[in-house]
Amino acid sequence: MRDTIVIGAGLAGLMGALALAEAGQRPLVLAKGQGATHWTGGTVDVWGATDGANVREVVAQMIAAHPEHPYARVGMVGIEAALDRFRALVETAGYPYVGSLERNMLVPTAAGALRPAAFVPTTMAAGALKAGERLLIAGFRELRDFFPPLIAANLRDQRITARGIYLNLPPIKRRLDFNTRNFADLFDDAAFRQDVGEQLRAARSTATRIGLPAVLGLRDAPAVVQELQAISGAQIFEIPTLPASVPGMRLFNIFKVAIEQAGGRMQIGSEVVRTVGSGDWLTTVYSTAAARQQEHRGQRFLLATGGIAGGGIRTDYTGTVWETALGLPLKAPEARAAWFAPQFLHENGHPIFRAGVVTDACLRPLDAQGQVVYQNVAVAGSLLADADPIYERCYSGLALATGWHAGQMLAMLER
Amino acid sequence: MTTSHDHIELSLEQSLDHCIKCNICTVACPVSAVTDLFPGPKYVGPQAQRFRHEHQPVPDDSVDYCSGCRVCNQVCPTGVKIAELNARARAQIVAERGMPLRNRLIARSGLVGWLGCGPQARWANAALTSLTLRWIMEKVLGIARAAPLPHYSTYSFRSWFRQRASRTAATTLGTTKRVVYFHGCATNYYEPHVGQAAVAVLERNGYEVILSEQNCCGLPLLSNGDFRAGKRYHAANVRKLFPYAQQGIPIVGTSTSCTLTLKDEAPELLGMHNAEVRAVAENTYDIFEFLRGLYERGELNTEFQTVERELPYHPPCQLRAHGIGRPALDILELVPGLRLAESNADCCGIAGTYGYKLEKYQIAMDVGQGLFAFVRAAESDLALCDSETCRWQITHGTGVTTRHPIEILAEAYGVAEGERGVEIAQV
Repeated sequence: MRDTIVIGAGLAGLMGALALAEAGQRPLVLAKGQGATHWTGGTVDVWGATDGANVREVVAQMIAAHPEHPYARVGMVGIEAALDRFRALVETAGYPYVGSLERNMLVPTAAGALRPAAFVPTTMAAGALKAGERLLIAGFRELRDFFPPLIAANLRDQRITARGIYLNLPPIKRRLDFNTRNFADLFDDAAFRQDVGEQLRAARSTATRIGLPAVLGLRDAPAVVQELQAISGAQIFEIPTLPASVPGMRLFNIFKVAIEQAGGRMQIGSEVVRTVGSGDWLTTVYSTAAARQQEHRGQRFLLATGGIAGGGIRTDYTGTVWETALGLPLKAPEARAAWFAPQFLHENGHPIFRAGVVTDACLRPLDAQGQVVYQNVAVAGSLLADADPIYERCYSGLALATGWHAGQMLAMLER
Repeated sequence: MTTSHDHIELSLEQSLDHCIKCNICTVACPVSAVTDLFPGPKYVGPQAQRFRHEHQPVPDDSVDYCSGCRVCNQVCPTGVKIAELNARARAQIVAERGMPLRNRLIARSGLVGWLGCGPQARWANAALTSLTLRWIMEKVLGIARAAPLPHYSTYSFRSWFRQRASRTAATTLGTTKRVVYFHGCATNYYEPHVGQAAVAVLERNGYEVILSEQNCCGLPLLSNGDFRAGKRYHAANVRKLFPYAQQGIPIVGTSTSCTLTLKDEAPELLGMHNAEVRAVAENTYDIFEFLRGLYERGELNTEFQTVERELPYHPPCQLRAHGIGRPALDILELVPGLRLAESNADCCGIAGTYGYKLEKYQIAMDVGQGLFAFVRAAESDLALCDSETCRWQITHGTGVTTRHPIEILAEAYGVAEGERGVEIAQV
């Protein structure tokens, strides 16, 4: 029914599906489960440049020095085009991002560390601190893994004036157990926002900015932030939580609507496990289904199943490393002994995390001899070789840039 | 637990270790979102499973509040079979403590349907709309008095089909293409018009429809934890259907839950996987899945009339568990003028027999709120959904008539028997 298949529903797959849908291809997005969006913090990390360095220049230098890096396949122009499209998408959806490639913002994490990001949703913008700010970090005891006193103590260690407190849940809102989603639903309720806003005003004292867990609603988070600012009298910002990430859910929802409106369709819960090809042309993929696999014959396939963390690459104790969906050849350390650097926090990261699919400039997969494996497949995101997205702090930037590029390349493909 | 350690059991046990505690299932679960009585899929599934053992009493009852909608399976990024773990855990509770009379009754939808369908339907329907009787049913049996019980049909689908067959015995379709139609209990006793539409659509595509012997698929038994009876039911269906499967004759159904049971639920939960069971499973299709296959092979009759309508459509949980996408959308978008708006709601709440139970009725209604709001906002006098109890729940929650999408397709072929949704007993 649909001859353009996207495999994977993280940022890379979603961005690729958007590119394909906007080019008129009616993509079908297949994914094993809910995408990596729900695991990530919702910031756009292009490169982990710190000390005020110009991100654009740092990436351009890296591309010149490492032509094998996936960013080099896309090029600076392609990277910026993808970021522009992403920002226009979220802006249209009423969930704008701020930032630039001139310099990273440093925003607090749930551990109280400062994390570089090129773009953040406006709901997190006030987390980028200026000198002389006084912070109040507030949370709820009922939300696990978010400890305001710990965050504040770690910020103080970095010479940031910060204090951590717990807020009280209005008695009527009590449940036995809470997750991030429950809190997001609570913040979509006006009475709850009013109650929290008043507690923040009372607790604010001299604080100029207030950090809250990133659960400030699923429907219209920027409006929730504005309302809390108006009531409390301080700048409000969200701090990403542990999964499941509410900012990630917002992004997933925005992409889903945009892809479906452009003629695409999503099918979550269907893992691609088998393929049929003819020479250098992939003809069919099969996804898991009840009783028998579902057949998807296609002309174009975009593969964005992630790296080792996302499930696109599997390893075993014998040292075998394989790509899970299409069985593509991988570039990986030869022996298991070469997977890891001697120190856990080694300055160059661990070689195994650079394992992945090598591609040409169109992001088509290559074999060890440099021949294109399938002319009608493009690969995007953390599955690509020669990048370590978590270590390089380019996880979301790489996903957006390569996803957009792969989608555009595939859309132009003609047999 | 009564089942032995087969390969499915092993894969379930191993799938526990794939849980990375990311909580994506917890935030997706429609039941734990509305009640404290269910702590969520991660807790009662991969976590509690470590405390369950076949020779020890079940440590926690909360798994009984799992509705079995399988949203957790669908969203799990690492492939943990949470819903199956929960279903087996419930069966262990039932094996230990027995099953309440209420559950034994509502799990036998074939028997319940047979009792009221036919000429006696008028009396049965009057009884089910009687506030007094429903109040007694609630007090004595624990069946929620407001829950959406469908009206019985005055004739069964099978009786209609047989009479029609004798009327049209002389006319042959001149075709060698044949399908077996699995109608299920709901079509037979409450909504024969769904089966009539299915037969019309299949015949329009040049298929002779065979009405094989069949019994209830047994899903209500499985979801209520009576695996022993479920196994008997499934074995009986396999006996009746295997001869067709063996000849490669497709078994096509309009009830997404019956077809899911034949394909997957029964073999997987009951550990039945001999060659006959597998052949029946592999030859079973949801009707729109079957039609989509025809389309992909260029064999679908696409001479559709224009149907100028914009309708809300809810793909039910049991359809999504087939893992085949939304075939009704794929086919109905071929009909000129017809536009379907897909609900993004996870579940209508009813989950088979779940929402009929007094202690779960309100949970089911709360789960359904998102879907009800979507259907109401569409301001349509008609909604579409592939699964019967979901249709009844949507009508109950919104007052909007809800039909099977096959009925709209029959209309597009110009063979509809008129506007007919099932009446819901409102008390």
